[in-house]
Amino acid sequence: MGVTCVSQMPVAEGKSVQQTVELLTRKLEILGAEKQGTFCVDCETYHTAASTLGSQGQAGKLMYVMHNSEYPLSCFALFENGPCLIADTNFDVLMVKLKGFFQSAKASKIETRGTRYQYCDFLVKVGTVTMGPSARGISVEVEYGPCVVASDCWSLLLEFLQSFLGSHTPGAPAVFGNRHDSVYGPADTMVQYMELFNKIRKQQQVPVAGIR
Amino acid sequence: MSGVRAVRISIESACEKQVQEVGLDGTETYLQPLSMSQNLARLAQRIDFSQGSGSEEEEAAGAEGDTQDWAGAGSSADQDDEEGLVKFQPSLWPWDSVRNNLRSALTEMCVLYDVLSIVRDKKFMTLDPVSQDALPPKQNPQTLQLISKKKSLAGAAQILLKGAERLTKSVTENQENKLQRDFNSELLRLRQHWKLRKVGDKILGDLSYRSAGSLFPHHGTFEVIKNTDIDLDKKIPEDYCPLDVQIPSDLEGSAYIKVSIQKQAPDIGDLGTVNLFKRPLPKSKPGSPHWQTKLEAAQNVLLCKEIFAQLSREAVQIKSQIPHIVVKNQIISQPFPSLQLSISLCHSSNDKKSQKSATEKQSPEDHLYVLEHNLHLLIREFHKQTLSSIMMPHPASAPFGHKRMRLSGPQAFDKNEINSLQSSEGLLEKIIKQAKHIFLRSRTAATIDSLASRIEDPQIQAHWSNINDVYESSVKVLITSQGYEQICKSIQLQLNIGVEQIRVVHRDGRVITLSHQEQELQDFLLSQFVMDLRVAVRLWFSFPVTSVKIFQKAMFYKIANGVIFVDHSKKFSGIKWKVETLFIKWNCLCLHLALIFSRNFDLEYLQINYKHKEAITSKDVHLAFETFHFI
Repeated sequence: MGVTCVSQMPVAEGKSVQQTVELLTRKLEILGAEKQGTFCVDCETYHTAASTLGSQGQAGKLMYVMHNSEYPLSCFALFENGPCLIADTNFDVLMVKLKGFFQSAKASKIETRGTRYQYCDFLVKVGTVTMGPSARGISVEVEYGPCVVASDCWSLLLEFLQSFLGSHTPGAPAVFGNRHDSVYGPADTMVQYMELFNKIRKQQQVPVAGIR
Repeated sequence: MSGVRAVRISIESACEKQVQEVGLDGTETYLQPLSMSQNLARLAQRIDFSQGSGSEEEEAAGAEGDTQDWAGAGSSADQDDEEGLVKFQPSLWPWDSVRNNLRSALTEMCVLYDVLSIVRDKKFMTLDPVSQDALPPKQNPQTLQLISKKKSLAGAAQILLKGAERLTKSVTENQENKLQRDFNSELLRLRQHWKLRKVGDKILGDLSYRSAGSLFPHHGTFEVIKNTDIDLDKKIPEDYCPLDVQIPSDLEGSAYIKVSIQKQAPDIGDLGTVNLFKRPLPKSKPGSPHWQTKLEAAQNVLLCKEIFAQLSREAVQIKSQIPHIVVKNQIISQPFPSLQLSISLCHSSNDKKSQKSATEKQSPEDHLYVLEHNLHLLIREFHKQTLSSIMMPHPASAPFGHKRMRLSGPQAFDKNEINSLQSSEGLLEKIIKQAKHIFLRSRTAATIDSLASRIEDPQIQAHWSNINDVYESSVKVLITSQGYEQICKSIQLQLNIGVEQIRVVHRDGRVITLSHQEQELQDFLLSQFVMDLRVAVRLWFSFPVTSVKIFQKAMFYKIANGVIFVDHSKKFSGIKWKVETLFIKWNCLCLHLALIFSRNFDLEYLQINYKHKEAITSKDVHLAFETFHFI
């Protein structure tokens, strides 16, 4: 588990999501990365049931249950600004039991699927974010394996991102800001994904022409 | 008390005369006391002549007298009466009784005297001892004891015999009834060894390893049935058992896993036609009943089936460079290029038909018992793993699986970490590795042995270590020259034989890795021979020479135990006999090696650089061999 940066690649002008993804992957291959299979990160949203809300009528909290193929036996559950729980895959079954307390939001499943590339110590994942049948955006995840402290390797990561993202290089993720010197963990990656998915959800749908 | 007046005491004798009569006027007439003679008479009357004199015999005599009195009742009564009469009539002459008694005594004595005198003459009367049928009086008490003891013992023996008879009767009765009533006790015995349960009216048992951790899907149930085909009239056979077990039909007979290594690969057509040789059934313990042997054999068959199923599953699933072939009851794989490892399940049923057909026996020599044993151990290891605490979930609600695997979810392990947790090697891979190692080890040993037998000088010694691993063995090889072992210690090699490679560690620290090729090891060892010789030769480079003969082409130096010839030219003619002479007479190790390595005695390969001293005299010449060069 190394330091990971998740960012969004905006769709190129006049091109579809797929074409942009292809562009990126070709760049990576030219760079020398080798394909190592596929990956998938998905997210489901639940909100606390109305019955559990207090008389004050506050809005229910949203809980995200996420899976990452990089950690095949784990399940992540997190609140927006709250703690992130790393659990066994039995957690999904548990959620079914907790139907009374957590209700699944409609049409909330969002996922990103794509290919996984290994370039020496870097692990790059370029994926298409889809919500239902429609592709909404492109996610790029870069992991630098050897380092576990964010502050130490951010500059290296940035440089690498620049090499193939060019101008679309993101700034430092928010999670880095919180703890500079603490060990980076998978939960932080999932938080980044959650933020990415939320951002994409709020975005307007990609124009129809772009989907084709 | 001096003051008291003395009292006068008068004494009167008490012998008063007896009063005969008292007159009317009160006068008493006294009886005259007896005079001396009268007193004597009175006492004489009281003598009892029937009693003997002497105080010791008085009591005995008294007893005898009493017995006599009791025995002769009539006579004693008369005697008493007479004596009583005598006392009552004192006017009778008091000595009368005394006189009568004396007289009778005299008569008796006279008679006795007469008899004795007649007997003494032995003419008219002889004394004869009374015939005694009893034993002499001294031995009587002992024999009596003996007889009495005998009688009493006989009585005790009688009682005991009676009791024993009763017991034997009851035991034989028991025996007869035993066979009929004993199903339950036999069932109890069975239950001590095997798990039984009652289903309806059937008694079923479990002979599988499921409770020991196996995951094989065979049910392994056997049925216990009552043996009722006993004919009470006929004699009950000795090995009769009221209980019989019925094992599943596919577990009948006996089975074992045959693991063998063959050098040449057989034809493809021969695959699957493994000739099974029927292994003699392992002798059951003498006291164990027949159902025990039956059940144990069935359990063994089940275990062998499980082992083979596991191996064949792995053979098919696991990808390897050279794929394994699974045909019928045989798994064939190639650990080394020219080598073939075949693992086969040999299951022979107990039918008479198959016994006849399996007459031709394949030689059991190529069966590796060690590997078969290891297979059994490995599968048991696997069983134990499923039951170990690492696998059993804590808490009980956790899912099954390895402990660390359960943590991999909450701790977000990635694929690399998960792979490292899972045991990567299956049963087949382990067995193949072990087979490779065994083969490599035996071939190394054969190589060393062949070299040792082929080459006499220098000598190669191999010290194999006793403690080995399944995948690694080690041997220490020493190359020494005879007589110079203490000096030439530099060639010591430690060979670590692994699964596919042999690693050689030299004494001076060099580490060389040899592959499994046989030739490589041989060449390497041969090169080490040379090293040894170089060392040896350098040490023994001078020999005192006794005489020198110089010829055109050669120079002969005669030394203490042989002849050394040296020539300038490289090729010799007629070399053979000379060299042979050297071989016999001279035990210089360097020239021995020359003979070994130049088999054709072609000394083209041999170059001898020598120096010798200038002054050639018979005693001062020393030959120095500096180096030997070999190609």
